[in-house]
Amino acid sequence: MTLEQFSLAGKVAVVIGAANPLGRAAAVSLAEAGADVGVATTTRSQREEVAANSCANEIWALDRKGFAQAIDAADERDVDSLVERAISELGRLDILANALDLHFAKPALDISLAEWRRVIDANLTGVFLACRAAGREMLRRESGRVVNLSSVLAERGMANGSAYCAAQAGVLNLTRALALEWARSGVTVNAVGAGWIDAGGFLADENMKRQLERYLPYKRLAEPEEISGAVVYLASDAAAYLTGQVVWIEGGALSHV
Amino acid sequence: MTVLDKLRLNGRVAIVTGAGRGLGRAMAVALAEAGADIVATARTESQIEETAGLVRETGRRCLAVRCDVTDSESGKAMVDRAFGEFGRIDILVNNAGGATDGFGNSLEAITDEQWRVGIATNLTGAMYCSRAVIPHMLERGSGKIINVTSGFGLRAGRNNFIYTSAKAGLINFTRSLTMTYAPAIQANLIAPGLFPHGDPAIEEWWKHGMFVPMGRLGRDEELGPLCIFLASDLTSYMNGQVIVLDGGGLAGGELPTGFAPVVELPGA
Repeated sequence: MTLEQFSLAGKVAVVIGAANPLGRAAAVSLAEAGADVGVATTTRSQREEVAANSCANEIWALDRKGFAQAIDAADERDVDSLVERAISELGRLDILANALDLHFAKPALDISLAEWRRVIDANLTGVFLACRAAGREMLRRESGRVVNLSSVLAERGMANGSAYCAAQAGVLNLTRALALEWARSGVTVNAVGAGWIDAGGFLADENMKRQLERYLPYKRLAEPEEISGAVVYLASDAAAYLTGQVVWIEGGALSHV
Repeated sequence: MTVLDKLRLNGRVAIVTGAGRGLGRAMAVALAEAGADIVATARTESQIEETAGLVRETGRRCLAVRCDVTDSESGKAMVDRAFGEFGRIDILVNNAGGATDGFGNSLEAITDEQWRVGIATNLTGAMYCSRAVIPHMLERGSGKIINVTSGFGLRAGRNNFIYTSAKAGLINFTRSLTMTYAPAIQANLIAPGLFPHGDPAIEEWWKHGMFVPMGRLGRDEELGPLCIFLASDLTSYMNGQVIVLDGGGLAGGELPTGFAPVVELPGA
């Protein structure tokens, strides 16, 4: 039965970025599809920890197992220990979803090296570290699914967005390269290209939000739950032959001239 | 409603063109398994009757209609019959297409007629069917169009002029559907990689997929879940997109199945 291929019953997922609405929605959707889910922050901030705990509560409310862990996603020891915890507490690791999304906009001439490095670390390096940590276990078992969430700004430029655009585009090509490297090891690596959602950051500016809403074919931003279904599809047996691809859910934003 | 419930297509009606065999048959049966009633259409009556039998085994209704999508009148008549039978059309899968006479011809060797038939089969047919179905979808305020393109719609091939032009055209035709009919209608594409449809000669010709990153060819039934996903409410905000299902083929290109030699950083 084809629909059964979408079920994640018996699988274990780790989601990094539970304070990001996309990460939260991905974690809850994975749990709805039957997975046990450990969630993590991307920085050790109280705001993120509270959000991650609340996300874990939603997972428990669905009768799935899970945990919330505060990590700095750009710290390799933190990321390695997150993966170890998933395996020891939840028994295995089948799915990794990364939702790293630190917004930053400034004219290029005003960006300090420290700012550049922080944006690249928070949006891209953390994804690499998580893939490496999860990849060790997935390659050993010759089975696994990696889903990296990225942005329409990985595919289109934005003035003042040089650091963020470069980092998010990096996530897409990291995805393609890892997909090829692991294609014969039973591990698929894909990205979900997310449309604009109301998640603060760039869209904290009401003027920018209004402009975007006028421009988008849907005349509105996306709800995170409209995007997280793609994470479930890519994480499931239904997408066994799909690797190295970006599945965009962006309301036609990229069809525009 | 959980994320898995949103995949259900109960009460919906899907037209699948080119449903007599291969990917079209696999998608028709998968959509039926997800709950949709099916209109199976193709040129060969015996083949669509066989598909209809498989659909009915899932417990869904199936109308088998003979249709040549390259003929505007035939496409329109098929859609009219589908609407007359079911009273609604929720999903249109424009799958009919494939290599036509002159495929692989050098440019000088392509006849006007070969070009016309190839473009009609792989591009114009999808336009005719979309044009006939969209008014029904707009009337109800919702609809899903799934167009089947190819890796050759995104990348080129030596002496592959007719097919690549048509399949690339289909991608931008679909994006224009998005720009015109979003958000009521979602129009997306599937780009299958190498699917031999169980033909041993083709499997041999494609070396069993040894040059595909995943090391194997695609199986027709693997299109099924992707088709359900694109037809379902899980993708209500997805519009104008191509999903490539190819075992990693298009992710690379320079060293399709090879690994770069290890190169250390200078001074390390």
